[in-house]
Amino acid sequence: MSGALRSLDARAEASRRAAGWRALALAAAAAALYLGPALLGGRVLSACVVLAIFAVMAYGLDLVLSDLGEVSLAHTVFFAAGAYAASMLATRAGWGGWATLLGALAAAALIAAFLGLITLRLREFVFSLVTYAAAVVAAAIAHNWEFLGGSDGIVGVPPLDLSVGPLRFAAGNDAELWPVAFALLLATLWLVARFRRSRLGTLAVMSHLNPRLATMSGVDVGRVRLAVLVLSAPVTGAAGWLYAYQRAYVGPDLFETYFLVLMLTAVVIIGRRLLFGPLLGTALILGQERFLSFGGDVDAIVLGGALIVVLAFFPGGLVGLWRAVMARAS
Amino acid sequence: MNLLQQIVNGVILGHAYALIAIGWTVLLGVARLVNFGHGQMYMLGAFVTWWAFARLGLPYPAAILVAIGGGIAVGLAVQAVMMRLTLEQNLVSIMIITLGFGHVLRGAAALVFGAQPQVLETPPSLIDLEIAGAWVTAQDLLIVAVAIVVFALLRLVVEGGRVGRTARMVAEDPKLAELAGIDVRRVYLGVFAFEGAAVALAAALVAPRTPILTAIGFEEVIVTFVVVVLGGIGSVTGSYLAGLGLGLFNALFGGFVSPAYTTAASFAVLTAVLVLRPGGLATRGGGR
Repeated sequence: MSGALRSLDARAEASRRAAGWRALALAAAAAALYLGPALLGGRVLSACVVLAIFAVMAYGLDLVLSDLGEVSLAHTVFFAAGAYAASMLATRAGWGGWATLLGALAAAALIAAFLGLITLRLREFVFSLVTYAAAVVAAAIAHNWEFLGGSDGIVGVPPLDLSVGPLRFAAGNDAELWPVAFALLLATLWLVARFRRSRLGTLAVMSHLNPRLATMSGVDVGRVRLAVLVLSAPVTGAAGWLYAYQRAYVGPDLFETYFLVLMLTAVVIIGRRLLFGPLLGTALILGQERFLSFGGDVDAIVLGGALIVVLAFFPGGLVGLWRAVMARAS
Repeated sequence: MNLLQQIVNGVILGHAYALIAIGWTVLLGVARLVNFGHGQMYMLGAFVTWWAFARLGLPYPAAILVAIGGGIAVGLAVQAVMMRLTLEQNLVSIMIITLGFGHVLRGAAALVFGAQPQVLETPPSLIDLEIAGAWVTAQDLLIVAVAIVVFALLRLVVEGGRVGRTARMVAEDPKLAELAGIDVRRVYLGVFAFEGAAVALAAALVAPRTPILTAIGFEEVIVTFVVVVLGGIGSVTGSYLAGLGLGLFNALFGGFVSPAYTTAASFAVLTAVLVLRPGGLATRGGGR
């Protein structure tokens, strides 16, 4: 009895030590990932800032697509909502970075709540249809409404000011934005990992894999979907917030299907429900576009083609493909 | 802006909408499939018609046939790639793949046809006619006539004939249909070929009304969604009536309220219908 207890104690101690080592390894990896681009600078650094932003954007969609198993085509709207809210609050109201972040998160969450409520009782493809329609309509509104800058958009977004009390911090170029982008990415990774261990995350997967069982167990599938959608939108919206400062310009081009196809591809190409999947997927796509580009039109064909090929022929993504190859080899 | 002219415009627009949406209606009603590349297939149909007519110098009817041929080829290619997913009924992946095809088609069209806007000046679009004080072109009348013929034929085939029964059986239960000796793959390929042909025909007839760009197609998708949902998912007659209703609504809204926000107004209509009647207006009919 006491021997068994002692061995349990030892095991707990070992697992605590392993967790400690893992945390240390993760911290070292994060430091290396942060310092690498910072030291390299130039084109690599700029690409990494945009990579971090687009990866955060894709993680928002990841929660809905991978965990909930629904196809939201409105995440471009949440991205643009974050960017528009940030740029308008910064240029017209003169708000600082923290306040515009709150505004961006709120704008994305509100639109998501609206879309979630009108699609609450609808089946899967009607949900996608409404979200797609919402994206097209939002683009038309952004093009025509003077309040949103019309087709000229909003120019002259000031440098990102994240000062807290006496601590001054302002970021006006990619080198200065890199710490912010990196921190946003880390926060997003933490949130996604946390979500997957949370009650809501479990309910989402349950409603995805077996909606009938979920309903029988007393889970309100519609409410779970609404909650995940409203949680995912601010993630994508936060990416839009930082993108507004990175580009210093926000316009209706943010609604382009490019962003949607990029998010979808980033989520599925590596493999679904993998914490680092969307980040690596975004890195693959941006790496091709930034360093191996064949011109915009061919890049569009490559991106769309990758999405089609993965879904049609390698539904497990590159990780699934790798596992299949290894299984055959052994 | 007189009312009569707007109502005539609305009737023409309504037939155009119904024609644009008919491929989706059949796809959804008959095979329970969706196609988010619909708008880009419309764009491609418009450009192929323009290319065959203005560049190759073919007569307009021949150019329409070329566009339909192209539409069938794209439809078959999309369905062939998605066949495994279709048999698995994996709607999530199907939706995303069709979206990916839309993106590829847009990139390919921009590569082949260039970024310049083009105008499809077909012979009938140059003939102006006056009907009871309202002006229309012969092209407009052609749209109305073709839409009526297509819908009449389709009603006959889908709701009456053997082909329609077979396709509906596949939609209801693909596995059972296969056991009954139906070649399920051929039905799916046939339905997607029809979707491609129908949207190309619609583009060849409707696109001469406006300049064409490789970026068009999104408005057509909204129109299609509204028509399909409003008409009761999959109902042929419902789609015709919904197209007509939406055409009148958009013509009047565009004429008297604001032409820039007609898409937004259609979306508002869609939203209202979904909130009030989640099954669409014609919940009986061919829909569920």
